[in-house]
Order: sequence, then structure tokens, then C-alpha cells
Amino acid sequence: MTELRLHRRLYRGTAVDEAVKVYAAYAKFELVEEPDYWTVRIEAKSPERERKVRGELANYALGATIKAGKARSQQAAGGGR
Amino acid sequence: MPNSITGLPSDVAEADLSAQSVTLRVDRSLYPLTALYAASYIFLDRCFVLLDQPDDAHVRVTLSWKKGEPTEELLRSLVGEFANELLSCAWRAKIAEENKALIEAVTAQAIGAAMGPPSLDDLEKFDFSDEPFEDPLGIAMSWEQKYGKKKGEAAAAAPKDAAKDPPKDAPRDVNEERVP
Repeated sequence: MTELRLHRRLYRGTAVDEAVKVYAAYAKFELVEEPDYWTVRIEAKSPERERKVRGELANYALGATIKAGKARSQQAAGGGR
Repeated sequence: MPNSITGLPSDVAEADLSAQSVTLRVDRSLYPLTALYAASYIFLDRCFVLLDQPDDAHVRVTLSWKKGEPTEELLRSLVGEFANELLSCAWRAKIAEENKALIEAVTAQAIGAAMGPPSLDDLEKFDFSDEPFEDPLGIAMSWEQKYGKKKGEAAAAAPKDAAKDPPKDAPRDVNEERVP
């Protein structure tokens, strides 16, 4: 099992949810909310696959965050979902 | 185990060959978040990009190689290109911020012009009694308003002028009879 921690000030929660839905077919995911992080636990067939899914998930979440205009609202919102 | 990268300060960038990744520490006061997002977005197709915020003043960017095992030189090249792109995005963000008012004004004018001429109803409601704009230098005034003689002056000067001979350089009346 591998873990991906995405900072709440940098990643939008809806973007993380969207990414998990997209990659649900490739691994098992467990979502945990921490005070500063969205934590995603990933379990796949092999460590190499886990690494790949982890990377792709992070890329997707970042892209979705940027597209959602997180850059504009981040400072005012202070990291809300 | 993380190693420093040749040509880059060890407290700013370090490579981890076993994890096939390179980490860059970015100062938030130098690079705004918009620039960081823009640079990261460009690299999404080349590597795995992970952002983290270890403290309020810094953002840590981790770039992981997607396929195969990269050499230290490749990782150095990757982080160098990212740093250059980040600088470029930061500069563009600053230019956009400085010209924000100008861009908004031009856009508003363009949209206003695209709306077409005002309708008769709009003209009817328009208050034409208002001064159109301030003109302290009198640029919008006509030559007569600005330099022409006042009515009283013109009336007083008229009889005197009529008694005098016309000046030598005054244009002659073409219909005047010529005396041989």
C-alpha cells in the first residue's frame, strides 16, 4: 500500500474526488481527511503499478485544481473544499 | 537517498535516484502560486508533479520520472527546465498584474463598441446638459471662442477700421475696377 498526501491549500477536494473516480478501475482507494491534507491510500497489484497510479492521480488532481481556478481563489478561501 | 544536484544549491534542489525524482524548494515570496500552477501544468505530460507546502513561506515541488530509470543528468535537466519555466510564468504573471487596469479598460471599450450605437430611447434618456468633460486648456474650444473679439470690442472697432485705408498686404477685391 502506498499513500498520497495532497495539501489542502494547494489541491481542491473536489479535484481529488474526481481523480479517485477516474482511476477507480486501476486500484483500490481509501480517502482520509486530515487537518492539512487530503490523504489517499492506494492499493494495487504491484508496487510499480501503485507508483504509477499514485503519480497519475496526483497529476489529475493538480490539473483539475488548476482548471477549477484554484489559483484565483486559494488565498481568499484558505484551503476550503 | 537525496543528493544535491550539480549547479544548483543543495537547499533548493535535490535528486533522489532511487525514487526517480527530483525536489525543488520554491520561495512563495518570489514565485506566486499562479506561476507555480502554470509551470506545473506544462510539465504534467512529462513527469508526475506533486506539490506540497512544508511551511507558509515555501512550496516543495517533486517531479518524478514517468517511464524507465533516469540518470542524474536527466533529472538535473528536468529540474532546470522547470525552474526556467517557473521564472517565465512568474514574470508573465507580474506583467499581467501590472497591466490589469489597462486590459480591463480596453476590454470594456471593445465590448461597449460591440454593443452598437445607442437606440432612440437611450438618446432620449441621455442628459445632454452635462459638461462632456473638463477642458482646462480650452482644447475643445473653437478658434473664434478662444481668440475672436468680443461683441462689444467688435462693435467699437468697426467704425475706426472702416475709416482707415486697407493695409498694403490685405487681399485685393478681384472685382475692383482697375484704373489704367
